[in-house]
Amino acid sequence: MGSGYSMKNLTIQNVSKTYFDPYAGANVTAVHDISLKVNQGEFISIVGPSGCGKTTLLNMIAGFLPISGGSITIDDKPIKGPGADRGVVFQTFALFPWKTVGENVGFGPRMRGLPKKECDQIALEFLSLVGLEHVAQKYPNELSGGMQQRVGVVRALANNPDVLLMDEPFASVDAQTRMTLQEELTKIWQARRPTILFITHDVPESVFLADRVVVLSKGRVLEDMPIHLQRPRVWDQLIEDDTFKALSSQVLSKVRSA
Amino acid sequence: MSHRLYSAFKFAIPLLVLLLIWEFSVQFFQVNARVFPSIESVYRAGLEAVHDGSIFNHVAASLGRVAVGTLLAVLVSIPLGVAMGLNPIVSDFLSPLFRFFSVLAGIAWIPIATLWFGYGFGAITFVIFNAVFFVVTYNTLLGVASIPMPLRNAAASLGANGWTLLTQVILPGALPNIVTGIRTGLGFAWRGLIAAEMIATNVGLGYMLFLARDFYKTEVIVLGMIIIGLIWLAIDRLILAPVERATIERWGLVRRA
Amino acid sequence: MMILLKAWSYYLRIAAKFPVVQTILPFIPLVIAWALVTEYEVFPRAFLPGPVDVINAFGTLTYKGVLTQYLEDSVVRLAVGASVGVAIGIPLGLLIGLSDRVREAVWPILLFFQAIGDIAWLPILLVWFGFSLTTMTLIIVYTVLFPIVLNTSLGVRSVSTDLHRAALSLGASKLRVVWEVVLPGALPNIMTGLRNGLGYGWRALIATEIIVGTSGIGFMMFDARRAGSVVEILLGMVVLGTLWYVVDSWVLAPIERATGKRWGLVTQ
Repeated sequence: MGSGYSMKNLTIQNVSKTYFDPYAGANVTAVHDISLKVNQGEFISIVGPSGCGKTTLLNMIAGFLPISGGSITIDDKPIKGPGADRGVVFQTFALFPWKTVGENVGFGPRMRGLPKKECDQIALEFLSLVGLEHVAQKYPNELSGGMQQRVGVVRALANNPDVLLMDEPFASVDAQTRMTLQEELTKIWQARRPTILFITHDVPESVFLADRVVVLSKGRVLEDMPIHLQRPRVWDQLIEDDTFKALSSQVLSKVRSA
Repeated sequence: MSHRLYSAFKFAIPLLVLLLIWEFSVQFFQVNARVFPSIESVYRAGLEAVHDGSIFNHVAASLGRVAVGTLLAVLVSIPLGVAMGLNPIVSDFLSPLFRFFSVLAGIAWIPIATLWFGYGFGAITFVIFNAVFFVVTYNTLLGVASIPMPLRNAAASLGANGWTLLTQVILPGALPNIVTGIRTGLGFAWRGLIAAEMIATNVGLGYMLFLARDFYKTEVIVLGMIIIGLIWLAIDRLILAPVERATIERWGLVRRA
Repeated sequence: MMILLKAWSYYLRIAAKFPVVQTILPFIPLVIAWALVTEYEVFPRAFLPGPVDVINAFGTLTYKGVLTQYLEDSVVRLAVGASVGVAIGIPLGLLIGLSDRVREAVWPILLFFQAIGDIAWLPILLVWFGFSLTTMTLIIVYTVLFPIVLNTSLGVRSVSTDLHRAALSLGASKLRVVWEVVLPGALPNIMTGLRNGLGYGWRALIATEIIVGTSGIGFMMFDARRAGSVVEILLGMVVLGTLWYVVDSWVLAPIERATGKRWGLVTQ
C-alpha cells in the first residue's frame, strides 16, 4: 500500500506568538523565535518544560492560533487556518461521542465529499492498522482510553494529511497502555511514513519515538538532536540499551537546564 | 467592586440601545398611541401613578401577596420536605405526587381558589402558596435525600443527635437544593401572581395591566410591564441568584440532585 | 415489622419491572383520602366533590365530545406555539452560543424580557390582536422561546474546543462544524430546553385560556367556575396534571436522558 503522501516539507521560520493576557493585564510572549525545518516523512519530537511554548507552537501550525510573527509554510505555501493537510491528534482524544467509531474515522473522507460506502471502507482499512475493525459499530464511550486514542490516531491518518500533529496524545493513558501505543505508533509510521510532529513532556517517550528531538525552552529552540537508534524500536530492548539511556539523559539534562 | 460596576454598565448598554430604537420607531413611523406609546407618555403615566399613589398600592399589593404566600409556603414546606426526605422509603414513594402537583403550579388553581376563598387576597395568596409549596417541598425532599449516608453516619458517630444533626448536617446539606427550589418556586409564584391578579382582584400589578387594556391605555400597560420586569430582575438577580451561588459555592462538595 | 419490609421489597421488585407502578401507586392513597374527605363531608359537597363525581363528569363530557374537543384545542395550540418557538429559538440559541459578540449584545435584552414574563404580555397582545388565536399562540411562542434559547446557547458553549478543532483539522468547513459537531453536541441541552419550554408553555396556555379563552381545558375550568360547577374545575385540573405528567415522565424525560446518556454526558 503506497504512502499516498506527496513530497511536502514543513518550514517554520522565525515564528513568534504574543497575546494579551487579561488576568496579567499585560502582553505575554509564549513563543519568542522558533525556526524549524521538518522534512517529508520525518518523525520529530518536541520536548520542553511546561510553559516552553510547545503547545502554542503546535496550535499555530495546526492553524488554531494566528501567528504573531514569522511564517509557517508547507512547500513555501503559507498555512491559512486549520485544514485537512494538517491532521491533529488530541490529548483528550476528541472523538465525536454521538458517532460510531467507524463514522469518526470516516469523518475526514466524508468532508472531502466521498460517498458513504467508500468512507466506511477507508475507515475499516485504517482501523485494521490498529486491530480495531471489530469495534467499528461501537460508540467512543464504550471503549477504553487506549482504544479511543488508537481511533484518534487512525482518524487523523485516514485523511492523508501532509503533517500529523500530536499534542501529548498519550498523556491521558496509563503507563502500560502508553508503551503499547508508542510501539504501535512507530510501527505504523515505519509502514506508512507520514510526517509526524509529536509534542510531549516525557523525555524517554520523545527519544523512543523520534528521528530528531527538538528541545524548547521559554519560547525558543534550545537543541535539535538527531536520534540514531535502530528501528524497529521495542521497549523491552531499548530500556536497557546504553545508547538510548545516554540520549535520554542528554535530552533530560538539556530540558532541566532550561 | 469596579468590576461589578463595569459589568452592570455593559449589561445596561443593549437595553439603552433598545430604548433608543423604541423612541425612534414610534416617532418615525408615527405610531398611534393606542398601538404603542412613546417613552414620554410612559414616563408621564409613571409620574401620574406616583402622584396619586396608585402605583404604590398596586406594587404593595402584589409584593405583599407574594411575600405572605411565599413565607407561609416556605415555613410549611421546608420542615415537611426535611421530614419526608430523611426517610428514603417515604421520599421515593411520595416524589411522584409532588412532581404531579408542581406541574399544576399556580395558575390552574385560580378557578378553584376563587371558589373557595372568593376574590381578592385569599385566593391569590393561595395560588402563590401552591406555586411555592410543591416546588420547595420537592426540592427540599431531594436535597435531604441526596445527602450521602456516609456523611450522616459520620455525624452520628461523632455524637450528633436529633437537633444537632438536623441543624448542622441535614439543613446545610440540603440548602443548595432548597435555595434552588425557592428560586424556581418564586418564579412560578410571580407569574401566577400576575395571571391571578388579572381576573381575581381589583388591585395589583396584574390588575393594573388588565384594566388599562380596557381603556387602550397602552402607556400604562407598558409602564406596568417595565415595572414587573424590573421588580423580578431585582428579586432574582440581586437577591436570589447571589444567594443560590453563595450556598452552592460554599457547599459545593455536596452532590446536587 | 417484617411483614412491612417484605411488602416493601415486593413493591420494589414489581416497581423495577414495571416503572408504571411506581408512578401510579402513590396516587392511590391520595385518591382514597380524597374520597374519604368528601364522604364525611369535611367540606361542603359544593366545594369539594369526590373522585366518583369527577369520574362521572369525565365520562359525560367525553361522551358528549366536549372534553375531547377542548383537549384537542388546547394541545393543538400548544403544538403550534411550541413549533414556532422551537423554529425561532434553536437558531437564535445557536447564534448566541457561537458568537460572543451577539451574546453580549442580546443577553441583557433576553434577560429583561424573560423577567417581564409571558402573562404580562397578554394585555398588550389583546390590544393588538384582540381575543384571537394569534394572541394565544404568541404568548406560547414567547414562553417557549426563553428556555429553548437559553438551553441551546448553553449546550453550544458546552461543546469542547477540542471537538471543534478536531472537525476543522479533518477538513470540515465552519458551517459543517456547526452541523456535524455543534448541533449534535448541544442536543442534550436542547432537549432539556424543549422539555422545560413545553412545561412552561403548557402552563401559559392554561393561564391564557382561563383569562381570555373561548375553548380549551383552561376555559372549561373558568367557565365551570362561573357556573359554580366545581366538578368540572377539578376534572380540568386532573386532566391537566395527568396529561402533562404522562407526557413529561414517559416521553420527554426518557428522551432527555437517552440523549444525555448516549453522549456520555449525563451521570445522574
